[in-house]
Amino acid sequence: MSKSSKTEIDEMGFGPFDIGPDGTESELEQAVWANLDEIPDPHIPLSLVEMAMIYDVDVDRDGVAQVDVSFPCMGCPAYEFIHDDIRGCLRTMDGITDVEIDVVWDPVWTKDMLDDEAREKLRESGIAL
Amino acid sequence: MTENWSDDAVEYVQAIADTKLILSHRYTEWMLSGPVLEDDIAGASAAQDEIGHVRQLFEKLSNHGRALSWLQGDRPPEKFANAACLDDEFDSWVEFVTVADLTERAAWYLIDSIVHEDFTGLGERIGQDEYFHLEHLDGSLERHADENTEEVEAALEAAVPGVLAFIGPATLDADSDPLVQSGFTDRSAVDVREGFKAQYESIFEDTDVDISVADWDVPDSDEWDSKRRRVGEGHISSELVDALTGVKNAEFARA
Repeated sequence: MSKSSKTEIDEMGFGPFDIGPDGTESELEQAVWANLDEIPDPHIPLSLVEMAMIYDVDVDRDGVAQVDVSFPCMGCPAYEFIHDDIRGCLRTMDGITDVEIDVVWDPVWTKDMLDDEAREKLRESGIAL
Repeated sequence: MTENWSDDAVEYVQAIADTKLILSHRYTEWMLSGPVLEDDIAGASAAQDEIGHVRQLFEKLSNHGRALSWLQGDRPPEKFANAACLDDEFDSWVEFVTVADLTERAAWYLIDSIVHEDFTGLGERIGQDEYFHLEHLDGSLERHADENTEEVEAALEAAVPGVLAFIGPATLDADSDPLVQSGFTDRSAVDVREGFKAQYESIFEDTDVDISVADWDVPDSDEWDSKRRRVGEGHISSELVDALTGVKNAEFARA
């Protein structure tokens, strides 16, 4: 089960890394986080949010959603696929007029960003960390 | 994107990106032809990594006046600024390993020299890939140095001048290298060249390979093209551009 309720979003934590929701999100931004948490990683049985690939979300007054995303692998073959998934997922949301995606590398993604729940899911799937 | 890059910085990143683009293609030419399956898998993985690096470097360049379509191949062969040692296909696996090692290391040292904030994280992430590429290539190179000494020396002799032109001439020290002067990099071409040569002295230290077969003093700064970071008018073939842009496979793609 992915993290989609407000409580679960509030509990999202990415350890010492300055990524993910920080509790100051508007209702619309919380909804964006929840929807992003429904997008599966194409390779691994976790969502993009659970994979800690979504670093930040910001929705401006005009309803433009700015999503900062990083990738575990720079040569990810699903790079465009994931871009399309994010745009497709958010464009249908009430209050969202456009989606802008920035690929960022600071901080560099690391498996240390995965929380305990994500690690347990991977273990259950037979994926070693 | 933060502040604008100098023209020299744009050309510097262009040369690194083009070198990685052509290197990724050279990997694909050999990824089913390595001596053992491990070499093929490593080559396929390295090709994927390299094209991933290219994608990000092209993205940076597109923020500094370069059209993405032009970057991705809509340009004549003489507009590519790759290291000259990658212009032609390789005749043997040993030659490929030698040139790939030289080129990977040079490209990595040039990226590692960049201190502009646009490369924060990006350089570190590329370095994580390069660590494994060079671990694998260095191991192969040392083995071939023992088993195919003359072939490695011949490859070094042919490739080193092109790689050194890619790094930059020995006249560009900290006081004269425009990239250091503008604060884009923290190491001059002289510094990179010294570290680069020292690495190969170490790799071949316990082998019979004599790296002095190559000319380590080139290029002549008067002949050096600072834009394409090479000497002369050489370039990749138009057939390679067709392959890079998918033209070669257009009929298949339409089927």
